[in-house]
Amino acid sequence: MAYHPRATPNFRNLVVRPMWITLRAALRTIPVIGPKLFSSGYHGKEAKMLDEKTANRIKGGDSDSRFYAADRETSHFVKSPSRPVTIMYPYERLEDLEPWLFVPNNYNGRIGVVWETCTACKACVRACPNDCLHMESEVRVNVLDMPDASDENLGLSTVEFMEGGYLAQKKEDFEDIENTFSLETAHESAPQQYDFAEIIDLSGNTASVRWQETGKIESVDLEGMIPAEQDIVSGRIDLGRCMFCGLCMESCPFNSFFMTNEYDGMSGMTRNDLWMDASRTRVLPVVHKEAVDRELAKRADKERSKRERAAKKASKTKQQSEDKPENAEAEA
Amino acid sequence: MFPQSWGVSILVSGRQIGDNMVATDWFDVRGAVSWLAEQTMDYTVGMTRFWEQKYWLSDFTAAFAMAAIIFVVTMLSVLGPVWMERKLIARLMDHRGSTIAIRSLWTGEGNIRVEWWKNLPFGIGIPIGWINGFLWNNFGNESSNPKVTQVGNRSYAGWWWALPGMINNFADFTKFAIKEHMPPRDADTVTYEVAPFIIISTTLLVFAFIPYGPTLYAANPDLSLIYMMAIFGIAPLGVFFAGWASNNKYTLIGGMRSAAQLTAYEIPLLVTVLGIAVLSGSLNIIEIAEFQMNSSEGSVWNIFLMPLGAALFLITMIAEVERTPFDMPEAEAELVEGWWTEYGGMRWGLLFASEYLRALAACLLFSLFFLGGWEFPFEDSLITIPIIGGIFEFIFQIIPHSIWLLMKAWLVFGFFIWVRASLHRVRTDQILEFGWRYLLPLSVVQLGLSMWLRLGVYDGGSWPLIVPALITLVSIVLFVVLVMDEDEDALAEQRRPYHVSEINKASPGARMNMED
Repeated sequence: MAYHPRATPNFRNLVVRPMWITLRAALRTIPVIGPKLFSSGYHGKEAKMLDEKTANRIKGGDSDSRFYAADRETSHFVKSPSRPVTIMYPYERLEDLEPWLFVPNNYNGRIGVVWETCTACKACVRACPNDCLHMESEVRVNVLDMPDASDENLGLSTVEFMEGGYLAQKKEDFEDIENTFSLETAHESAPQQYDFAEIIDLSGNTASVRWQETGKIESVDLEGMIPAEQDIVSGRIDLGRCMFCGLCMESCPFNSFFMTNEYDGMSGMTRNDLWMDASRTRVLPVVHKEAVDRELAKRADKERSKRERAAKKASKTKQQSEDKPENAEAEA
Repeated sequence: MFPQSWGVSILVSGRQIGDNMVATDWFDVRGAVSWLAEQTMDYTVGMTRFWEQKYWLSDFTAAFAMAAIIFVVTMLSVLGPVWMERKLIARLMDHRGSTIAIRSLWTGEGNIRVEWWKNLPFGIGIPIGWINGFLWNNFGNESSNPKVTQVGNRSYAGWWWALPGMINNFADFTKFAIKEHMPPRDADTVTYEVAPFIIISTTLLVFAFIPYGPTLYAANPDLSLIYMMAIFGIAPLGVFFAGWASNNKYTLIGGMRSAAQLTAYEIPLLVTVLGIAVLSGSLNIIEIAEFQMNSSEGSVWNIFLMPLGAALFLITMIAEVERTPFDMPEAEAELVEGWWTEYGGMRWGLLFASEYLRALAACLLFSLFFLGGWEFPFEDSLITIPIIGGIFEFIFQIIPHSIWLLMKAWLVFGFFIWVRASLHRVRTDQILEFGWRYLLPLSVVQLGLSMWLRLGVYDGGSWPLIVPALITLVSIVLFVVLVMDEDEDALAEQRRPYHVSEINKASPGARMNMED
């Protein structure tokens, strides 16, 4: 279950369940039968609070072999010397021991990003009022998407020319760069082999594009052009500056950016510890499966309608081209 | 008329209303009071030359005595809810209630025992010392369990668990009564002083029309329901006065919230009450209650005929008496204490009492309107069970019907406490949205259902069993559907990834035994 079952704000979770929990706590105070019938099941049981490594290290140490509280609900009619209220965080967690205190679904906690669906549009970076989001992206030609003419995978590329997308053109000295640049001796970053342009408008085999380097708008022939895409190079969030307003999440058009309701793992010994890079903000696809599925379905729908439109257009032009010769013949 | 007015015919249950028998008590309080007043006037004024005045004087005395009795009964029966609030919420919220207040007189707070009586002059404190010593030795901090003694035994209640907290009410009263009255300097003095009395007096007036039993009521006009609801609706005005006149931002916000909330919930409440009146065919509270217990007319508790109405009445009443989850006007976390922030001493105590009185009134009304009034369960049909039925009937009849009504009211108040312990406070806009958008239409629907039941289904006799059975069954099914049903697609849009359930815990055993 990817979502906490009690985090959904519905009638069952907001009314029925809390009332059952309190009722059970009250019924538990009935002498003798109460604790037996309405126990939560973990009281007085041994709690394995240490991982094996630590347990081996401190062999028989004081903190080994702890037990859960004899009965967290000690409000029997019968007297009891202690009533434990401390939750041994991080070994115990609030929502485990007192399930009615689950973290609410709309709690803005630690930031999580589904990097797989992120398109590096940087809407979140622009939305952030505290400048705590840093994202570097670059437009590049994905070599996996452009197999050779001889390759059997030709034509199965996923990246296509599209409005709002990018295209690349080989620089004149493309070959020279490839031949002269040596990674072993270079002290600078690798030079760019392509000129990139943003596609403004697509019409048939020509496109009007804005070249990134010069900013000029031009109409170019798609022949010889290579589709390119924007990829993320690095994404970093400075949690020390974050005020958890959630504007980044609201601005994300791809459901990729989340304020999760996790309150843990946001501390560190230095300020640098609070710089959460991609690996610390990554949300696994398993966890956010529903969101990913939704996004994939959205994209698939878009792709499908695009293909349909293309097919319709193709059949139309085909029909026209079929019609024309006939007419021409007839005229003749 | 002596035997009848004293109601000496013990265990002869039933009072004649027209041709019908309804439940009544073996002790006729009103009859006894009026008989006593008549006798008194006969032997005092009646003996003098002003004997003609004795008729209105006896009537006046009886009415006055009845009002006094109702006042005392009300004040005593409100102790129950206050005590329940302490004890039951402790059970529900998993901690002990107030248990040590009185015991701390001789055990001291924090295990520190100050022998103050030794400082009194001329050794007059010595007897106090004896009493304290006796109490210390017998009900002190020492326990057979050394651990209990060691921790100062603060929560040790022993088998006297029922008493502590009950006596605390009197301690609280004393404390409030001796506190100084301090009106704020910039307050609107007249309104500030008048507001609590508007609230308290109207709250007490509500009880004039609420019968505690078949013979225990102060007044019974034909339209008592309308009187009662009208007076019940005056207190919000006083609340607003109090909030405004205190000249404090918190009280003002509290008063505003109170005005908005109470207005929003007054209307569905009144429409629901109208539904009850339509179903029972009367605007008299006693007749509404008797309609549910009359063996030849009605005879089915309204909760089985209009469960929706019962739910609406309960919710709107919880909002009307400003209890959690609808206690926005107080909201002690954000508004200090809401509209009564600036009141202290006995005025605060009386406002507090009036809050509980209103809650008690709500519970009594719920019992009267929906839980068959003062009739005990299966009063008519219990006797039909062979042998055991008669025994139960006998035992149940001995308990006065007023006690049955009070027990029902306290049970309903137990539900109030249960709700308070379970649910969190609702935001202002959500409260108002809930009231206007859901409760108001539902109450109109309930009114329509009541009219249909009364005009289309009811044939003048007692209800055929199939009607309440069917309505109750359908309601339970609808409730289960409401609990189970959720719009998965709509919720999916709101959801966010939840880390906590997925990450492997440092303590693998932490979730092992959890039930879900």
